[in-house]
Amino acid sequence: MPSALTIRLQIEAALADRIPSALTPGPRILRPMMPTGIDSVDELLGGGLPVGALTEMIGAECTGRTSLALSFAAQITRVEKVCAWVDVSNALSPESAAACGVDLARLLWVRCGVASAKQGPQHSESFTLPEKYRVPPTVKKGLHGGGMGSHPRGEAKGMDDAVSGLLRPAVMTARCAESQRNVRAENEVFKPIAREQFTSEPILRSSGASGHGRPWSRIEQALKVTDLLLQAGGFAAIVLDMASIAPEHALRIPLATWFRYRAAAERTQASVLLLTQYACSKSSAGLVLRLTSKDPLNEGTTVLAGFNRRVEVSRQRFAQVSAGPEKVVSIRKPPQRAGIATWRSETAWVGRR
Amino acid sequence: MNGQRELYVCLYAKEFPAQAMLRLRPEIREKVVVVMEGEPPFQTVCSMNGKAHRMGVECGMTRVEVDIFDSVTFLMRSMPEEAAARTALLECAGTFSPRVEDQSDRGEFLCVIDIEGIEKLFGVPQAIAQNLLQRMRALGVIASVAVSSNFHTAICHARARPTQTAIIAQGNETLALAPLPIAVLDLSEEHTATFTSWGICTLGALAELPENELVARLGQEGKRLRQLARGELPHLFVSMETEFRLQERIELDAPVELLESLLFVVGVMLEQLILRATSRVLAMASVTIALTLEGGESHVRTVRPALPNNDRQLWIKLIHLDLEAHPPQAAIVSLVLTAESGNTSKVQLGLFSPQLPEPMRLDVTLARIRAIVGEDCVGRAVLTDTHRLDSFRMEPFTISSPQTSYLMLARSSESDKSPAAGRQLRSIEKVVVTLRRLQPIAFEFRNRRYQVECAYGPWLTCGEWWNPMLWNEEQWDLIARADDGDLFCCCLVRDLVQSSWQMVALYD
Repeated sequence: MPSALTIRLQIEAALADRIPSALTPGPRILRPMMPTGIDSVDELLGGGLPVGALTEMIGAECTGRTSLALSFAAQITRVEKVCAWVDVSNALSPESAAACGVDLARLLWVRCGVASAKQGPQHSESFTLPEKYRVPPTVKKGLHGGGMGSHPRGEAKGMDDAVSGLLRPAVMTARCAESQRNVRAENEVFKPIAREQFTSEPILRSSGASGHGRPWSRIEQALKVTDLLLQAGGFAAIVLDMASIAPEHALRIPLATWFRYRAAAERTQASVLLLTQYACSKSSAGLVLRLTSKDPLNEGTTVLAGFNRRVEVSRQRFAQVSAGPEKVVSIRKPPQRAGIATWRSETAWVGRR
Repeated sequence: MNGQRELYVCLYAKEFPAQAMLRLRPEIREKVVVVMEGEPPFQTVCSMNGKAHRMGVECGMTRVEVDIFDSVTFLMRSMPEEAAARTALLECAGTFSPRVEDQSDRGEFLCVIDIEGIEKLFGVPQAIAQNLLQRMRALGVIASVAVSSNFHTAICHARARPTQTAIIAQGNETLALAPLPIAVLDLSEEHTATFTSWGICTLGALAELPENELVARLGQEGKRLRQLARGELPHLFVSMETEFRLQERIELDAPVELLESLLFVVGVMLEQLILRATSRVLAMASVTIALTLEGGESHVRTVRPALPNNDRQLWIKLIHLDLEAHPPQAAIVSLVLTAESGNTSKVQLGLFSPQLPEPMRLDVTLARIRAIVGEDCVGRAVLTDTHRLDSFRMEPFTISSPQTSYLMLARSSESDKSPAAGRQLRSIEKVVVTLRRLQPIAFEFRNRRYQVECAYGPWLTCGEWWNPMLWNEEQWDLIARADDGDLFCCCLVRDLVQSSWQMVALYD
């Protein structure tokens, strides 16, 4: 009686010319994952974000990219690894990071596009007494007690206008006994103030370097810094935060850059996270997550409670296929993954309910 | 003196002004080098290297006289450089014994080390002498060594035989000194003339003279000279405190503007500093480079990596990046490198410890990043204790040692929730707000109009009313929707001091 192994070998040998090693399951490569700290997302991704690969998180503003990335960074710092945050728009809030559980001592924060001169308090306002309240200078007088001022002949100029200004129709009508035409006072109408009028004050306070302006130098700085960090090695995660960069700028980054990052991440076993508004890294990304906004949480009536987030897997390069011989193609369509997960993102000030 | 055995090592370096200058200029060591002193045009030769000596250059020659020799390199004597070199040599001598006496004269380096009782540490006198010479050579100085139980015998022998190592056994001092010329005794002109007229040329001849007759003719000085020649003059050892200060100084021959040329010099100086630190099993914790610029101004920079280290290439790179980021405003005339010593760093690696950046490499990486984004834009954020929005300070990023106790807590706080994060808008962007009953109902931001669905607030915050940095703000958390249905959540602030609206954060 031949054993099962012998039979298997015989079958494989018979089918070798058509199907090589037909009954031997192919070797499975277990790719390491790092959890994000959100159960539903980890379950969707089969354990978390891939280590040694490029992960791209796409979405518009307010879709939860930063929350997800910070949650991932918190998991990394919790196991005492270090993480780097390359902030293209200088938009990371350390308070939010700390609230998400990130150990700030293990987070290297690189702020791009910030001139060193702008450091320190941003709302520096100083108070100086206007000149008119100071002790007046001694009045210089001319030879005959006059002079050193406007000429007396100019004093009466404009007097007519001033007097007519004082004698407004309302003042006049109140004193006049004769009947007047009833002039309807116009109702005050609420209108949005014209942009030009309203924005005059804030614009004065801006110091020139608008964060929404030319982002090229900042992007260039960020790409160089990411290169250096990947070369240095030792960082478990490097987050390239381009979440506030418009797609037309982000798409101009050459694809070779992302390919280089992918290779470097694989070599140094670092997770490179890319936060963008539009998919930039194309085929270099090991995982592409698309985040979309859902409704805010309406539980709290007095404070902002949080949001419902939704994430969808757009691309997963090394998806862990369920157990079973991979070479056997089933006749039926295998069960498809849902590819969508939701979670709640609560603000730090909301109490437990 | 008090019956105890004595043993001294005399360390002697001749032509010290030239040697001190050539120590940090390895590129001209093989050339004919002459060191001049004095104010031009009355400069005279004060020291030279061996090649110049063999060509016939002598001390006291004027510049015109030296100019007749071919391819002579002229250097100006630098007393600060000599002092720095002398400190380095004395400090090296101090690593052998704490009892060191400096007997240096104007144009030579001479120190005597009391090595009695250190045989167990450093071996026999022969080994100590060899070790000492080797260390001197590493410091860039050619020296001679003489070991004797008499202080002055060691000095005389080292001066007379500047290329040899001599070990003089106890009791053999007179014999060893006998062939040496009497010039090693630093005689006055009068005594030199007297001895010449007597036909006394060597110390042996002087030692043979009868003591009483010599005293009758030359007084007590005659007795002292005779004792010196016989190797019997006692000496009260006055040990000096050798200062351990890692400092090197060089005065450049011509003002340097190129950073690369400067780094070549810095490399040589760093090598010397590292050598001195290593000899004491120390590492350099920080290096301060003080540049004297043309016009008398100075430019001082300090480089401090995360861990003390002795890697020369790393130090050069760090100094390079620092000087690139903060370049001096004029050409450099001289530079002083001062290092602070620290304990040699030991890194304990563990099988289960997480992978972290290598500290030395990280220092260079951070310096490079600083050069790209600016000095204060790299590091770790530290929150400050205030209610003011977005208040933090940056500190240098360092890697603290891991504590494995946290490893088990990796997934302890997982749930289906995550805290909502805010993105700070630090540059002021235009926002147009429409109010109804003092509540925002719509706003226009980045050329899009949003209708507010829900407004939480106003949350009032104020502080520091006691100084000009006061703030008084009204915060609104807004949930708004754009015309195309996109959700937009933001934090809007009304500055009550200036009565202006500003978008400060987006909830992402």
